[in-house]
Amino acid sequence: MTQFTRRNFVKAAGACAALGTLASVSPQVIGKGHKGRVIVIGGGYGGTIAAKYIKMADPDIDVTLIEQNPKYVSCPLSNEVLSGERNIESITFDYAKLSGNRGINVVTDRVMEIDAAKHTVKGAGGTSYAYDKLVVSPGVDFRYEQIEGYSEAVAQKIPHAWKAGPQTALLRKQLMAMKDGGVCYIAAPPNPFRCPPGPYERAAQIAMYLKHHKPKSKVIILDAKDKFSKQGLFMQGYKKFYDGMVEWVPGAEGGIIEAVDPATNTLIGEVDEYQGGVLNVIPAQKAGKIAQLAGLADDSGWCPVNQKTFESSIHKDIFVIGDACIAGKMPKSGYAANSQGKVCAAAIVALLNGQEPGEPSYVNTCYSIIAEKWGISVAAVYQLVDGQIVGVKGAGGLSPMDAKPATRAIEAQYARSWFKNITSDMFT
Amino acid sequence: MKKIIQQLSAISAGLLMVWVVSGCASQSSAQPPAAAAKPAETKVAAKPKQGVRSPSMLANTCAGCHGTNGASAGDIMPIIGGMEQEYLVEVLLEYKSGERDSTIMGRIAKGYSENELKAIASFIADQPWVSSPIKTDKKLVAMGKKIHDKQCKTCHEDGGRVQEDDTPRLAGQWPDFTLQYLHDCHAKGRRCSPRKMGMRVMKLSDQELKAMAHYYASEK
Repeated sequence: MTQFTRRNFVKAAGACAALGTLASVSPQVIGKGHKGRVIVIGGGYGGTIAAKYIKMADPDIDVTLIEQNPKYVSCPLSNEVLSGERNIESITFDYAKLSGNRGINVVTDRVMEIDAAKHTVKGAGGTSYAYDKLVVSPGVDFRYEQIEGYSEAVAQKIPHAWKAGPQTALLRKQLMAMKDGGVCYIAAPPNPFRCPPGPYERAAQIAMYLKHHKPKSKVIILDAKDKFSKQGLFMQGYKKFYDGMVEWVPGAEGGIIEAVDPATNTLIGEVDEYQGGVLNVIPAQKAGKIAQLAGLADDSGWCPVNQKTFESSIHKDIFVIGDACIAGKMPKSGYAANSQGKVCAAAIVALLNGQEPGEPSYVNTCYSIIAEKWGISVAAVYQLVDGQIVGVKGAGGLSPMDAKPATRAIEAQYARSWFKNITSDMFT
Repeated sequence: MKKIIQQLSAISAGLLMVWVVSGCASQSSAQPPAAAAKPAETKVAAKPKQGVRSPSMLANTCAGCHGTNGASAGDIMPIIGGMEQEYLVEVLLEYKSGERDSTIMGRIAKGYSENELKAIASFIADQPWVSSPIKTDKKLVAMGKKIHDKQCKTCHEDGGRVQEDDTPRLAGQWPDFTLQYLHDCHAKGRRCSPRKMGMRVMKLSDQELKAMAHYYASEK
């Protein structure tokens, strides 16, 4: 799959030729990069990295990062906030260093509209921003409609906590208020969704809190699926640390939740109803709102891209990375978004310099913390084969089932150090 | 250690190849746009050949765990940016072969060819060493220095700053990493590589191992 078609070449050459003109004419241009203007929408695991690595590779490219919130709360490690192992401040970051150290123009605004033909995006206040290349890294949006009675408003009472921040705090508060002997139900979503091991790590972290503070209580995972990520390792960990406290109900055995009744705090499944002390409903997902609005998603709800560069298969000069895109065999994880951000950054730098994007390389590493000194991981190294991202055979895989406790303890340490490093890669 | 030196010529030959073929995307700004103007006809089903991936493309994937350019932000993830290339190559190849124990690095290193691992090592080695900013415990540092002066400094010269043959830099490393490595070596004893290190480390107490880690962290 040669990316450098005639069309692409004309586009790249055209972009370079037009730069001088655009920069001097448009009053909306923020800064004046010599090589072109890149706008990145979304300051999370993908967007921050794309913005930073473009600047690192070529400071002459003007980079603006538009993020709707002044501070970012990380989903990874937010399950430790639920158990009380860490506070929410420890997973909250601002953009001052990224902006100051890297020369990235960070703007707090909510993008409401992308005009792919005119190469502009419009913010909530009406400000228009012009780009040569646009990176869209919006994360996920929820398909509330797939669970009757659930909505963004109901999520203020029955949290999903699948975007960290106030939702995390709400779920933590409910857990703390729950009586000993209560049940916390986690409704886990169907594939594909953000952070495949996340709901199961969450069950462990909540169980850890309950074990210490409310030992007669239980966590029950009601799953839309019949199997899940790192399943053997999680089940082993539940048995070791939370025997009898964590239960998993697969979809085929009544785990599928069809409706919620917020008035009675009840989940309505295909077979049974579950009335709980605390309900955590994680609905099915799709690409983030702006991707839907801009027509970047296909019928699947996710965004098809050229997996070599992450350029949208639908709109030219727009690149979609992270949870929102369809990235072959890569999962929707923070590390995957980080890796995709770097591949996309290198492609954009190449294109704005009139070159063909280089051969990509991608990695995913994902840790889950089951108990304070019990961590597990999955890793994969990916390459592009026939235009598709696939795992390199013989590499990657899970932590071994028979690892010694000392190894699990080191993996838990690695998990927390991973978090320090990936967030420093993003925000400094 | 000698074998490493013998391998060097082969290694650098491999590296040279990678550098030449890859065309290094990160240095793309030096190229005028016109350089890309070769006719790129995309004719039907010609099977794409697996391209060569540039050192920066390969090595930037490490930063998610080891920090940007290998300058780890802590605590147990080692700083690797600025380590000697030969040492990094040796370690990565040992991870790939399974010769070196690991939790996750073995799984990752198996995803790359030998030449790719050498390219990664060359990129990481080219980065500046950034010492950990951690504050160290004065008493532990003093205790560690005594042990260092007595039995470590012939290989780990200048407070662990000198990198020669396959001796890694220790000065400025995160103490949690050094300590974990020392614990591992302590447990292996005579089977720790190199053996002469294992035989010394196995005799140290937990407190002394901790002191060593703090001492090296204090030597920025």
